[in-house]
Order: sequence, then structure tokens, then C-alpha cells
Amino acid sequence: MTRAATEGLSGEGVGLRRVERFPIRRVLLVLVSVITALFVVIGSWKTLTLPAGRGYSAGAWRDFLVLGVAQGAVFALIALGYSLVYGILRMINFAHGEVFMMGAYASYFFAAAYGRSGFLDRSPALALLILFAVAIVVSSSVAVLLERVAYRPLRRAPRLVPLITAIGASLFLQHAALGLFGAQTQGYPRPDALKGSWSILGVPVGRVSALVVLVSAAMVLILSYFVRSTKLGKSMRAAAEDQEIASLMGINVDRVIMLTFAVGGVLAGVAGVLFALRFQFVHYSMGFAPGIAAFTAAVLGGIGSIAGAALGGLALGVLQSIGPALFLSGFNVPSPFQLKDVVTFSVLVLVLIFRPGGILGREEVQKL
Amino acid sequence: MSGARLREGARAGLIGGAVFVFLGMVGMIANFAGLSLVGSQVTLGLVLMLLPALIAAATAARPRVEAGEVRRLPTPAAAATGIAAGAVTGAVVAAALLVVEVVTVERIRSVFVSVSPTLVGIVAFHRTWAVAAAIHVAGGAVLGAAGGAYRSLAPDVRRPVAVGLGTVLVLGLLQRLVPTILFELGLRSDWLYSRTTLGLTWPGAGLAFAAGAGGWVIWRRRRRWQPGGPLERLAEGERATRIALGAVVLVGLLALPLLAGSVISEILGLVAVFLLLGLGLNVVVGYAGLLDLGYVAFFAVGAYFTALLTGADIVAVLGTAEPAFSLHLSFYAALPIVILLAAGIGILIGAPVLRLRGDYLAIVTLGFGEIARIVFASEWLQPVAGGAQGLRAVTPAPILGIGFRQPQRFYYLALAACLLAIFVSRRLADSRIGRAWTAMREDEQVAEAMGISTVKYKLLAFAIGGAVGSLGGALFAVKLSTVQPDSFTILVSIVALAIVILGGMGSIPGVVVGALVLMGLPGLLAQFEEFRLLIYGAVLIAVMILRPQGLIPNVRRMRELKEEERLQDAWLRAGEQAGEEPEVAVAGEEARP
Repeated sequence: MTRAATEGLSGEGVGLRRVERFPIRRVLLVLVSVITALFVVIGSWKTLTLPAGRGYSAGAWRDFLVLGVAQGAVFALIALGYSLVYGILRMINFAHGEVFMMGAYASYFFAAAYGRSGFLDRSPALALLILFAVAIVVSSSVAVLLERVAYRPLRRAPRLVPLITAIGASLFLQHAALGLFGAQTQGYPRPDALKGSWSILGVPVGRVSALVVLVSAAMVLILSYFVRSTKLGKSMRAAAEDQEIASLMGINVDRVIMLTFAVGGVLAGVAGVLFALRFQFVHYSMGFAPGIAAFTAAVLGGIGSIAGAALGGLALGVLQSIGPALFLSGFNVPSPFQLKDVVTFSVLVLVLIFRPGGILGREEVQKL
Repeated sequence: MSGARLREGARAGLIGGAVFVFLGMVGMIANFAGLSLVGSQVTLGLVLMLLPALIAAATAARPRVEAGEVRRLPTPAAAATGIAAGAVTGAVVAAALLVVEVVTVERIRSVFVSVSPTLVGIVAFHRTWAVAAAIHVAGGAVLGAAGGAYRSLAPDVRRPVAVGLGTVLVLGLLQRLVPTILFELGLRSDWLYSRTTLGLTWPGAGLAFAAGAGGWVIWRRRRRWQPGGPLERLAEGERATRIALGAVVLVGLLALPLLAGSVISEILGLVAVFLLLGLGLNVVVGYAGLLDLGYVAFFAVGAYFTALLTGADIVAVLGTAEPAFSLHLSFYAALPIVILLAAGIGILIGAPVLRLRGDYLAIVTLGFGEIARIVFASEWLQPVAGGAQGLRAVTPAPILGIGFRQPQRFYYLALAACLLAIFVSRRLADSRIGRAWTAMREDEQVAEAMGISTVKYKLLAFAIGGAVGSLGGALFAVKLSTVQPDSFTILVSIVALAIVILGGMGSIPGVVVGALVLMGLPGLLAQFEEFRLLIYGAVLIAVMILRPQGLIPNVRRMRELKEEERLQDAWLRAGEQAGEEPEVAVAGEEARP
């Protein structure tokens, strides 16, 4: 072998090693994390040291926290729907926000009628139960129909195909609601019993916020019991683990998938009523932003895990309600809450870059 | 056998009926009843009312694979199945009408706003319930028989009929374009289009049908020896034919605004802007296989930076003001800067998400797109970007003192940009870079093992896609002369995606057709505007399920998508001919059970 050739070879070897020795990606990631951390710390510091007249009082922070927890509870319920479906199909059900919207919208018609007739104020508990039932029925029907029409024919297709279908389904459902129910924003009535606030441990908590948190917590507990201990829940977990082997064990995978969509729909329906009670409106496009936020929450907590979705929802809700004020006010950004969704998306991007498995999720062996 | 067939027919009929009721409740039937296609009798609303029964019957009576053979049903059996499907469809509609009769229109309308007395009148043919129900069931049975029998015919008979009907439909839908062109050419158009209803006349429709069907037969006879459908063949076609065709198309494109007048040129300008978006997204999604849902970010960047670099106003407390940052470059000096900037932003957005794949990538890019819009709209950037009101009075882009704001002139500017983008896309697809993208799209790990730097090529795809998208944004800013954050919602990304998907991922002619159909048609027909996005959603679902390769597939991409199927069914060649007719995919979006 000639000298030149060996030199060329060794030269290449050096070049390769040098590339390995300078990991651009890792440096970039470290830079991004340092900048984010600095931004958050400096922003918070500047906000908290604002002069008394311009900053926020302790009471304001407390209220932000309570609202954030209530918001997070709703996110958690929607996030569970993403998480369950992702667990089985490894697919983002992009239209889940619309499933949530359909439930809320359907319950609106009952709520409005009960509000007019006074039934909503006379027996709020019964009325609310009916509203939840309506929303649950409609949301889970829409979810099941969606699965049957749009997703089932694509079970074996490449991964991008069902995702594109899901985007189409989201657009379709949203504008179907526009065509069916009209474009105007409808005011959602709130029963008298839920107006005002309760004092819990000396902290004033809006009654609706308390209801939202209670109902959400109950739903999460019921769901985790269902998934852990019932036969159907066990077959769901089996199908999530390995569809083929699950079907060899005598589980009807198609039925389990349908059931998963239905359960996701139930949770979305409950979330829809809670959301509508809290913000007192329904609109055909109301599903988009909470849908994306809930997806973020699911990813943040660890997609595929129930506790993760609940935790991620709470974390994101609090972050959304405290974050803009805390991080941005210090930099003299006017109306920081306009940038609330920027916080959401930044969290999503950062989680996916640094810890794609989420807080509680296990690292997936294969790449995302 | 017949029992199972009838049950199948009835099931299809139930779905068909549900689709019919949905079309009515969502407002499409009433809205499209105002759009005459042929004579005064056949409106698009009527077509929508006929299609569910027809398609339900045709689906129920479709040929099946039995014991490894494609079996067409004998005509009587197919017709019987079809009758079951059609009659059930009609019965469902009759039941819905009965509900309306019992509950009253007003009370239903308080929930479903589109259920109006007009709609009920149209669906019930302005008769009493019993008569209307009888018409629906009997008419449904007749339609079903026709649909079922149609499916049992040999392809040699079926195809010309479908093409003929498709021609009538397309000409009917182009009722604003074709007569204008004929008029400008100095030809009479009243033999083809009616002056009162604006739709085709009956003799005109007959001629169109004959021309379509006859043209198909002649085309078919000449090319019988070649495999594949005509569109696929055109995409593969011989060089000489393609050059000749290209020349004809180019002359047509140059002459079009002169013939079509300023209203249609305006629409064509918008089509061109979205064509640019589609072409750019096609590089990212079609070539490199990266699903980017935040593509609107580049559109926004292009529009905002063009406005800022060439000079624009923001709305201030008193009148308008100069933004905090602005240069007064000419459009053509600003354009390269904007494009480079967008390419840089593409790399910046691409870098952190390189490791993500598929759905995660889609969601993260969606996040970036939304961040771009929210930041541009925020009060924080108000001094520069004008907040929710955006920027106004963007400096126009003249050539030799001729303003381009006038629709016809703008059309030429946009056409030039589109041709440039098409040229670049084509050359890229055939280059080493394009092959690297293909390899990466197919299997990232294998591509990497073959020595392709996936990092480099992914970033390149983002940069080039971003550059083309920003070109679209720049033109958009110049066209409207205002830049508002409302124009840059996620919907723009989804529309661009729909254009790419409908046409066929990775196929440039496909993107052109996609942009023409999805942007041009709603522009030409005001009635479509209200249901544009609903139809886009349905198109996305239907294309992915029925024809994932798109209307005009990229030959290689289609082979990838169909590879396995083909291997399995190589001995089932006959079944290949049972593919979808393009016009069914366009017109019958959600009418498919």
C-alpha cells in the first residue's frame, strides 16, 4: 500500500473523530437549555422585584394558581383521550379537540333550555347530571364514528397517512359544527348554585373551579380503576402492549380500539361541560386551543400514562396561568397573557427535545 | 346469496341516507340549489340529492374478489342490490322529513340553524309529506337500480359514461370562466351556456357529454397498449408530446388573464400564491417526507418582512405611522433578502426538531406556526408588526413603472414566481439532493447507512421549503397591500397540505391541479365559499382512504405506496382497472360511505 493511500485513510479517520468530538447537536441543546433557564430565572426575578404598584400581589398569584389548577384539570381530562388512543394506535388523534367541542356544544342546547325554564337553578345537581350525560353520549358517539369512518380503514397504512386523515377529520368536524349550529358564540348559562366562591383553608376558590377539580379528579380515579382492574381495561392495556399477541389471546382488538375511543370521548364530554361552565361560552372553534394544550399536557406528563396525563395537565394549566405573568412581565412585555399559547408551545417543543418520554413516561427504545 | 346482497344494499342505503340528511342539515343542499348546472332543472343541490343513492348503490354492487378472482355481479343482481340501497336511502330521507313534519321546522331550526323552510321545500319537492316520501323511496330505487347496473357494466362502457358526465359537471362548474373566454375570443356562448340560469343549456350539456365520452374512446383506442391510467401515462409521457403540451399550456397561461378579465385574474393570482405554498410544502412533505404543519410561519415571515423591508404603515392612535423598523428597498431588492431570511428561519426551526419523526414533528411545527402568528399579532411587537391590525399600505412592486397591483399584472408576477418554483422543484427532484430525500423518506436508517447526511438534507428541505413559502408570502403582501395576522392561521398550513395531498405527494402537476381545484373552484363559485373548509376536510380524509397517491400521482411515490399491493395482486391485473375515476374523488368527497 502506498504512503499516500495510508495517509489519506488516516486523514479521513482523524476527520471522522473530529466530527465525533464536536457534537453540534448536544452543544446546541445545552445552549437552548441555558438560554431558557436564564430567561425564566431573570424574568421571574425581575417580575417579583417589580415596584409595588406595578407588580402582582400575593393574592393575585394565589388566584392565578387556583385558576391554573382548574384549567389544568380540564386539560388533564382531554389529555387522557389523546393518551389512551396514542397508547394503542401510536397515533395522535388530532380531531380529539373537536370531539370535546361537540360534547360541549350538544350540552349547550339543554343547558340553554334549562336556563330559560329555571330548572337549572331549581335543581342544579340533576340538571348538571343531565348535561354531563348528553355531552358524554354525543362526544363518545362522535369519537366512535370518527374511528370507524376515518381511522379503521387505515390501520395498516404508513404512519403519516392516519395523521393527515386526523387533520382532515378535525377540519371536517369543526366546520360541520359551523354548518349545523351556526357561527355565533353562544353564552353558556351557569346555575346560581355555582356562582360566587367557597373559602377553602382561607383561600377563596371559585365554586366552578372547585367543581371542575372535583369532577376531574373523580374521573381520573374511575378511569385508573377501570383500566387497572376491569376486564375491558385489561384488554385495553394488552392491546396497547402488542395488538397481534392480544388478538392471539382472544381479544377483539377492533372492539378494544373502538372502546378506547369511546372512553376518550366520555372524558372529553365531561371536560366539555366543565370547560363551558367555566368560560361560559360554546363556539364551533372552541376545541382547537384546548386540544393542542391537552396534547402538550399528555406529552409533558408522558404519553400513554394516566397519571402522567393528569400530572401534565395540572403542570401545564398552572404554567399557562402563572407563566406569562411571571416570566414576561419583568421584561416589560405589554399584555403578557396574549402570549399564553407561546408558553404552551415552548413547553411542548422543549419537552420533545429534551425528554420525549415526558415526566412519567418511559423512554421509548425506538426513536420517535 | 341474494339475502346477503340485499342486506348489504340496505346497509349502504342507511349510510347513504345519513349522508343525505347530513348534507341537508349542514346547509349544502339548500345553498347549492342556487347553482344551476344544466338547464333550470339540474342544480348542484339536486346533484347532491341524487348522489347518495347512486353512490350507495354503486358501492353495494361493486365487484368483489372471490376465491382470487374479481367477480362482477350479473346485471339483474347488481340492479336488485342497488334498488335495495337506493330505496333505503330514500326511506331514511323520508323518515327525516317526517321528523321535520312532526317537530316543526322552527323548533329544529333553533338547534340546527341550516334547517330552513327553503331546505325542507327543496327536499320535499314542495309537496306534502306522503307524496315527498313516495318520490324519495321510488326515486331512490330508480337511482339505485341505475347505480347498481352501472357497476355491473364492462369498463369499456362504464368509463366513457363516467368521463362524459364528468365533462358536463366540470363545464357546468366553470360557468363563469368558459363563457367569458368565449366572449373575449369573439365566439358566441349562448349555444353552450344559458343566459338566464348561467348553467349549461340542455343541448350544450349533450354536446359536452358526447365530446367527453367520444374523446375518451378515441384516446383509449390509440393508447390501448400502454398500462396504467391516462393521467399516470401523461406524467410519464414521451418527451416530444410533453414539450408540445408545455408550449400550449404556457401560451394558454399567458393569454388567460387577457381573455378572462380582472375578476378571474384576481382569483388566479390567489391560486398562484397558494400554488407557491403548495410547491414549497411539496418539497418538505412530498420529497423529504417531513410533515410540516407550521408552514404558515414562512408565509407570514415572507409577508411581514417584505412589508417591513419595502415600507408600510402601522395603525397608530392618530391615523397611521411608520413602524419602528422599516427600510425602503424596492420589492426586487427586498425579495432575495426575504427569501434568504426565510431559508435561515427554516434551518433554525428545523435544527431542534431533527430527531423527531412523523406525528411529533407535525405537532411541534404546528406549534412554531402558531407561535409565529401569536408573536406577530401581540402587542409586544405592535411597534414593528402593528399588532392585531397588522401593516398597511405596503409598497407596490412595479416593473418599469408598471404597477403590479392590478390583478392582471399581478397574475404575471405570480406566474413568473410559480414557473421559477416549478423549475427549481423539478430540477431538485431529479438531482442528487432529490434522490437523497427519497432515500431518507423511505428509510432514514438505511439512508444514513448509505452515507447520506440526514441532518444536512432535512435542513436543506426545511430551508428550500421555507424559501418558496416566503416567496408566496411576499407576493401575498404585495397583492393585498395589507398584512394582517388573521391571514396566517393554521388553516393556511392545512390548505397547503390539502393541495399537496389532493394532487399527490411529490407530484408537481398534482400540486398545480390541487391548487386549481381547491383554490380556483371556490373562487369561481361563490356558493362554495361557505363550505370550503368542510370540503377540504372531507377531501383530506377521502383521498387518504381511497387514493393515497393523489389525483396525479408521482410515479415513483405511487409505486412506493402500492408496492406491496402490486406484488400481492400481480396475478389479479383485472382488478387494477377498478381504480377510482378522478371526478368521483373531486365531486363525491363525503358521499362515500
